[in-house]
Amino acid sequence: MSAPTSTLVADAEIQPSRSERRGSGTWRYVGSKVLGSLGALLFVVVFNFFLFRVIPGDPVRTLARNRLVSDKQVEELTRTLGLEQPLPQQFLTYLKNTFTGEFGLSFRYRQPVGDIIIDRLWPTLLLVGTSTILAALIGVYLGMVSAWNRGKVVDNVSTGFSLTLYSMPEWWLGLVLLAVFAVGAGPIPSLFPTGGLHSTDIQDPNSFAAGLDTAWHLALPVITLTLAYLAEYSLIMRSSLLDEMGEDYITTARAKGLRDVYVRRRHATRNALLPTTTLVVLNLGFVVSGAITIETVFSIPGLGLLTTEAMDVPDYPVLQGAFLIFSAAVIFANLIANLAYSWLDPRVRT
Amino acid sequence: MNLPVKVVIQVESDRMKKAVAGVAAGVVGLAISAVGTAAPHAASAAEPVTFTVGIQNEVDSFNPFLGIEAESYEMWALMYDPLIKYSPEDMSPQPGLASDWKTSSDGLTWTFTIRDDVKWSDGKPLTSEDVAYTLNRILDGGPESATWGSYLKSINTITAPNPTTVVMKLSEPNAVLPLLPMPILPKHIWSDISEEEVKSYANEDNVVGSGPFRLVDGTAGGSIYRFEANKDYWDGAPNIDQVVFSLYKAEDPMVQALQIGDIDFAEGVSPLQLDAIEGTEGIKTVLGTSPGFDEIAFNTGSIDLDSGDLIGDPNPAVMDPEFRYALGFAIDRETIADKIYQGAGEPADTIIPPAYSTYHWSPPDDIAFSYDPERAGELLDAAGYTMGDDGSRTMPDGSPIGTLRLLARTDSQYDASLKTMTYFKEWLADIGIDSEVTAMESGKLTNVILDGEFDAFQWGWYVEPDPDSMLSYMTCGQLGSWSDSWYCNDEYDQLYNQQHSELDEATRAETVKRMQEILFRDSPYLVTIDNKYGEAYRCDRFEGFVPQPGSDGVLLFQYGVNSYLNIYPTTECGQSSDDAQSAGAATATTDDGISTATIIGVGVAVLAVVGGAGAVIAYRKSTADKRA
Amino acid sequence: MTTTSKPALTARQVAWRRRRQSAGRTWAEFRRHRSGLVGLGVLVVFGLAAICAPLLASHESIEVTKATGGVLEAPSWDYPLGTDADGRSVLALLIWGSRVSLMVGLLATAISMLLGTLVGLASGHYHNFFGKALFRITEWFLVVPWLPLAIVLSTVLGPSLLTVAFVIGIVSWPATALLIRAQTLSIESRPYLERARALGAGDWRQMRRHVLPNVMPMVFANTTLTVAGAILTETTLAFLGLSDPLYVSWGSMLDEAFNVGAITTGAWWFMLPPGICVIVVVLAFTLIGQALEEVYNPRLRERA
Repeated sequence: MSAPTSTLVADAEIQPSRSERRGSGTWRYVGSKVLGSLGALLFVVVFNFFLFRVIPGDPVRTLARNRLVSDKQVEELTRTLGLEQPLPQQFLTYLKNTFTGEFGLSFRYRQPVGDIIIDRLWPTLLLVGTSTILAALIGVYLGMVSAWNRGKVVDNVSTGFSLTLYSMPEWWLGLVLLAVFAVGAGPIPSLFPTGGLHSTDIQDPNSFAAGLDTAWHLALPVITLTLAYLAEYSLIMRSSLLDEMGEDYITTARAKGLRDVYVRRRHATRNALLPTTTLVVLNLGFVVSGAITIETVFSIPGLGLLTTEAMDVPDYPVLQGAFLIFSAAVIFANLIANLAYSWLDPRVRT
Repeated sequence: MNLPVKVVIQVESDRMKKAVAGVAAGVVGLAISAVGTAAPHAASAAEPVTFTVGIQNEVDSFNPFLGIEAESYEMWALMYDPLIKYSPEDMSPQPGLASDWKTSSDGLTWTFTIRDDVKWSDGKPLTSEDVAYTLNRILDGGPESATWGSYLKSINTITAPNPTTVVMKLSEPNAVLPLLPMPILPKHIWSDISEEEVKSYANEDNVVGSGPFRLVDGTAGGSIYRFEANKDYWDGAPNIDQVVFSLYKAEDPMVQALQIGDIDFAEGVSPLQLDAIEGTEGIKTVLGTSPGFDEIAFNTGSIDLDSGDLIGDPNPAVMDPEFRYALGFAIDRETIADKIYQGAGEPADTIIPPAYSTYHWSPPDDIAFSYDPERAGELLDAAGYTMGDDGSRTMPDGSPIGTLRLLARTDSQYDASLKTMTYFKEWLADIGIDSEVTAMESGKLTNVILDGEFDAFQWGWYVEPDPDSMLSYMTCGQLGSWSDSWYCNDEYDQLYNQQHSELDEATRAETVKRMQEILFRDSPYLVTIDNKYGEAYRCDRFEGFVPQPGSDGVLLFQYGVNSYLNIYPTTECGQSSDDAQSAGAATATTDDGISTATIIGVGVAVLAVVGGAGAVIAYRKSTADKRA
Repeated sequence: MTTTSKPALTARQVAWRRRRQSAGRTWAEFRRHRSGLVGLGVLVVFGLAAICAPLLASHESIEVTKATGGVLEAPSWDYPLGTDADGRSVLALLIWGSRVSLMVGLLATAISMLLGTLVGLASGHYHNFFGKALFRITEWFLVVPWLPLAIVLSTVLGPSLLTVAFVIGIVSWPATALLIRAQTLSIESRPYLERARALGAGDWRQMRRHVLPNVMPMVFANTTLTVAGAILTETTLAFLGLSDPLYVSWGSMLDEAFNVGAITTGAWWFMLPPGICVIVVVLAFTLIGQALEEVYNPRLRERA
């Protein structure tokens, strides 16, 4: 889960700087945003290479411990991993490979990094994507209800609920849910599996039954993450809606005698949805980072877990590839969020 | 003018409700039909007998030339056969694909007789050609030699003069033979894979092997690996039809899965968890010996390999064998085994574990270690490390010993590394020696060891059936490479070379024991415990496991596939194989899984649809006036 | 005609008096938020427990080598919250763990706020290349996923209390920087600052005299929220095995509980209390932060 944000940060994140708002038309704005994103991506590519070589540990020794004896064998392994080249040459090879889309072979699995990442990508997308969307829907709705009924019991209960969830480490919630519903505590029987993505007795992985089985395995993790994410959305939606409701145009609308409900629905909600939607889009970018901790607790073979395992070797190609995907996803989401915001918010368009 | 508006709303919501009801009915219908199609599957007549194993680490490659993880070795053992197998009782060489072997009197020629009744899974016969091809590919060097090359040391040529004979010619005698655990691969498949291609050849589709099981579904790094039995296996068909490995990233959920019945065998269970499930109906727990040990290793003199100068500033006390030997009495191995390993360890003192009874040496009582701080003090005094006025010992020349740098790993199992060093620090303080503990990740520790920037650290080794490799780590030749204590002793090296070429087992065993005695006296390692490994299985589903090494060894992940070949399905614990057969043992599949999953899945889907529909209805109702 | 007049106050004294009055008003306003007061009370309790740890439970009670209890014992009179896998009292661990959790959280926040405020001010104030570069760097840190980055840095720097705090600070400063930057930009567009610039006020003077005082309230509110996040992050890093192994923290207790099999062994007393403590403390900080936000942003307040 991304670091906690308050309304203020949400606003700050997405409002383009003043100097960028000026300019001759939206195309220039779009162009500058796209260029900025490409620049960020390039920076990430370069940085990734050096970042992982800083991790202590020699992949050859890690892969060889308790197994190889002769220097010749160690040399052989080093050559296989491509680590015998001097660092600058490794860097150039890396750059060339990245731009041709070839991410190399994993040190650990000796399979193309692309294949490994794609294999692990869909459980993460499924898990975190579903949770984010569900959390957005439920959270926004809760936030709206809270704001409209400010001060009443509904608001207090909902806000208290959200605040508590927000203060909770999501993996701890996962552990508790696992203990109660997957293992079974007291009168509650074991309702869900304790881990993994598939039951072992599903013979045909492409059948409908297999799909349902996967859904059953993902149920608890998705519930956990949804609860964890919705807290933030509900709180922010409530804040920004309250913010909007204090705006001048609301007062004007009220003065004109328009019905409260109409006012709320039509004006305030739509404008308050703006920072919230942008926040959702931004968070979707973090979807790919995977919920590392949830994947650990529930043994979901996703991208987050792949990353932590790769750091033990350290498996440079996998780490570089994974980080590239994470950063690219976030950069892309940022780009979309920025463009969408400027399109939706008429104050920004020039 | 309200009336027309109200009518419009009414009509709209009616239509809405009908639409939603239609969709919901459709979904439910679909779900029911899914249950319908799934159900017959669950209730079909002859269910395959499936043995499900829970593991905690992925297979890193199904290609025997590439993988290194223990899980990968286990998979290859299921798919392929080695020339030589290992007896479950004492790990001595047993016939595998090689039914017989002999060596010339000078030890320079080895002749193996290959069985003639083995077929590959694609029907072609297995001959000495395949054996020679596999071994030569390793011998030639390149990526294939990375894992297996060390077993073919001193071998010059490998030939197959006829379909049932393999001849090896050596440059000097090699006592490690006939230890040849590498899987034999089919020449007609692998000759199409070049040396370059083999570096990334996954070996996951249509694998051709001769072993007792065949890979049906699985990929490196995946979470489910499925094997089916080879009913024509030359050593007898297995009693089970399928083996499935299921990956759990944490122990707790895996043990829970065993209790619920999602898996039949749990691999790598900690002693605490074993205790917790001890009495459970239908589950048997095993704390088996696994040949390996943990030790406190010292810096016996880290030097720059070119100049011979000391590097890393090791404490001079630690470089003195007398000092180290004395410390052997300041370690309470019983406490370590009980409190730190919670029983998953036996106190130990040498680097060849007792499991290898032929080569294991036990120190005689007068020099053997025990927890005796007084004796440690006396030995230290005798060596010149007397107690100073401030309660700390000093060097023989009177200068203070200083603070010993103790290093621990942050990523050890049971956190044993850090706890061992924490206790060690206390025990050292009890006999007047000051020390400090620093924890770091394994990768970093390796670098620190190579730089010599330490006085002692805690780690462990897994020991192969032939002691040669473990012994080699203490030779001068391994300095800067695998030697982590910087130990270098000419007498030891001489003995190492002797045992390496000694073909008479008794003589060799004597030499190996003498080497252990030297190490015991010099104490570059203070061995703490021999490892034990926790496993648990559903005895009400399967029995007939074969422990190795010896009767208190581990049940799976051995040197061989004895258990897989011998287990049979049962209906109650302790049932013999005959009783089980006559009782018509139930299938081991958990068909509860499917129906519960389907029910819950359907239930959730229906709820979601109904809930979503309800929400939509509610929303549209309340915004009806807007659309008027 | 004699006039007794009060001695004239210097400009600085006037300014300080105004600040004190404003602080007093803020406090009065804050007091009206019950939730914030509850949060403050909770924090005081935990803070005291952390400071007085040696009085409440001897240091020996958390040392592995001196543990006297049985393994994973259920709560009893001797051990109100049971024991852990080494026989140490869970209650003692909880009390001593609060020190690490709170200290690392506060230290990380200090680093984060310092870095964030400086960068935010600079990138908001300087519209030249330097300012833009700072903004790009801030953006980059937001783009890289924080948990993998934290794991990599922890692995590189080694696990010690200081490095953990440093790592958390590094991954959380961008949020603050962005916020400060936005606030700086908005303040600097106000007329009186233009006037100051026209009168020749230098950069530093502008920032110190005008921008900073107006940004501080926002910073203050954001700090409490950052502490909440830092404590959560520390707990997560500890759960992943990246905290200082020589010290007990709530996160490391949960890591141990998970590894030791608290679920299978049914040791709920080991798994629930540390999590509940984290929730309570983080909630307290969040409530205070939210109350402060409402104090400083009048639009969020209830209309009379």
